[in-house]
Amino acid sequence: MAVWFAGSREGAADVQIRGARYDALAAEWGEELVLATRESTQQATRKHIRKLGNPVIALAPDNRLWLFYVSVSIGGWAGSAINTMYSDDFGESWSTPRQLITTPFLNISTLVRNAPVFHRDGTIGLPVYHEFLGKFAEYLYISPTGDVVGKSRISMGTDSLQPTVVPMDEQNAIAMLRYAGVTHHRVLASRTEDAGRTWSKPFPIDPANPNSALAAVATPNHGLLVALNDLEDGRFRLRLMETNSSLELWKPVIDLDESPDPEGNPFSPQAYREIIGDKFRLSSGPRRLSLVDEFLTNLDQRVCKTHGCDFEYEYPYFIRSADGLYHLVYSWNNTFIKHVSFNDAWLMEQL
Amino acid sequence: MPGLWQAHLTFALFAFVVLPGFGLGRLAQGLVLLLLLAVSFVSVDGLSLAAYMRSFTEDVAITTLVALAFFAALRMGLLDAPSHSARVQLLIVMAALALFLYPATMGLSHLDPYQLGYDPRPLIVTVGVLAFGLLLLKNWQGVSMLGLATLAFSLGLKPSPNYWDYLLDPFIALFSCAALIGYAVRVVARKATKASQQLNQPTSL
Repeated sequence: MAVWFAGSREGAADVQIRGARYDALAAEWGEELVLATRESTQQATRKHIRKLGNPVIALAPDNRLWLFYVSVSIGGWAGSAINTMYSDDFGESWSTPRQLITTPFLNISTLVRNAPVFHRDGTIGLPVYHEFLGKFAEYLYISPTGDVVGKSRISMGTDSLQPTVVPMDEQNAIAMLRYAGVTHHRVLASRTEDAGRTWSKPFPIDPANPNSALAAVATPNHGLLVALNDLEDGRFRLRLMETNSSLELWKPVIDLDESPDPEGNPFSPQAYREIIGDKFRLSSGPRRLSLVDEFLTNLDQRVCKTHGCDFEYEYPYFIRSADGLYHLVYSWNNTFIKHVSFNDAWLMEQL
Repeated sequence: MPGLWQAHLTFALFAFVVLPGFGLGRLAQGLVLLLLLAVSFVSVDGLSLAAYMRSFTEDVAITTLVALAFFAALRMGLLDAPSHSARVQLLIVMAALALFLYPATMGLSHLDPYQLGYDPRPLIVTVGVLAFGLLLLKNWQGVSMLGLATLAFSLGLKPSPNYWDYLLDPFIALFSCAALIGYAVRVVARKATKASQQLNQPTSL
C-alpha cells in the first residue's frame, strides 16, 4: 500500500489521508481509498482537528500494517501531533486512530515523514521532527501497542528536519536529514551505534539539498540508496544515488524524473502541457492512461504560476520489501503519486 | 466522561476560578461549580466544550489540576490562603522544574530532559526529595501538588506514560516563572525605594 494526503490544497480542511493497494501480479495500483479524514480523526481523538498532513505507512514483521499521520488542532504545521492506527488484515479494516503524546509542550510540534524501523524486540522506531521554535529531528520508540515509550534526539537547533533512518545492523544506523539552514545547503547525516539511544552531531555530506525531503534504504552490500533532489535550488530533478556506509563515495544511479530544462527554468503553459502530457502517458500505466485529457485540462496553480509552469518531483518514500524489491513513491508535479520499483539485478546493471 | 474526566474537571475548575465570585455564599459557589461542570458537557458540532478546550490545552498536568482545585477551595473559603513564603517556595520549585525541562526539550540542547520521564525513577526520587523539603517547611499545597502528581502517575490516570506530563505543563510553568519574576521585581523596587528614601533623609552631623 502507499499513502498520501490529498485535497484542494496543502493545509485545507478537506485534505484526507488516502491510499491505494498495489497488485504486484498485474503491476497496477487499485482504486484510491480514504483512510482518514479530519472528521474521523476528530471523532476518534475527541479533539478539534483543523487539518491533516503527512502520512507514513509500513508493514511490521508481524504483518501488522501501521499508519502514522499528522493532524493539527491549532495554528500551522508547528502545531502538529502524530496519530496512529493499524490494520491486522493488510488494510481491509483499521483500528480507531489514537494520538501519540510526544512532547511536554501541549503535545504539539511533532511531525512524521519517513519510514519507521521495526526493532527485534517488537518496538517501532519512528523518525520524527519538530517545527515549533526550532527545526530538529528525533527518534521515537513506540511499543507494539502504539504508545510512545522513549525518544532520543538526532539533531538540535533550527535547521534540520525530516530524518530518514537506515538501519545497517542491530546497533548501527544512519540518519539523513533535510537541511533547512543557510550555511551548508547539503544533506546532513548522523549515526547511532547503540540502536538509536544516542546520535552523533549531524554533519554535512556530499549531496546538495535545496531544503527538500529525501529517503534512503540499505542495500545488501552494506551500502545505501538515496532518493533526493541533489540540487542547490529547486526540486526539478529527483535522483537516485548510491553510497557506501561511510557516506564518502557517492554515485548517481539514475535520474528518476527531471525537467527538460537542465536549470529547471519554468515553461510557458503551452509548452508545459505538451511536455507533461508526454510524461504522463509514459508513466500512467494502461489503467490511468484515459485520465490524461482531464489531467491536462485541470493543470492549475499547483504547477503554473505567474512566472510560468514548473516541474517538481519531491517527497520520496523508499522501502525494500521482504521479497527484495525496491519500491519508491514520490509526488509527481503536485498532482499524482508516482511509483517506481526495481530489483538488485537492475541496480547492479546501473552501477 | 471517564475518558475525558480530566478535561471536564479542568474546564469547570478553570471557569470557576476566572469568573468573578459575585459575593456568593459557599453553597451557591458550590452550585456554580456544579453548573460549570454541566456546561463542560455541552456539545458543539459533536464535541463537548471541555473537549474543545482540551484540543488547545492538551490534558493539563496534575499539578495544574491540584492548583486549580486549591484556588477554587480558597474562593469557596474551604482553605486558608498560604503564607507569602509558602507561595514563593512553591513558585521556586515549579519554576526550577520548568527551566530544567522546557528550554532543552524545545531544541536548545542535544539532550532532551523529557526522556527522563519515560524511565522516571531518578526523577521521582528528585521530586520526592523536593516534596520532603516542602513537607518540612509545612508547605501543604506544594506537597499535595507533587504527591498527587506522582500518585496519579503510578496509577496511570493520564494517557501519557511520561512522568513529566503529570508534573508540568506550559501553563503552570509560565505562571510560576512569571509570578516569580513579578515577585523579584517587586522586591527590587521596594529595596530601591527604601534606599532612595534613606538617601533623602537629612543627616545630622
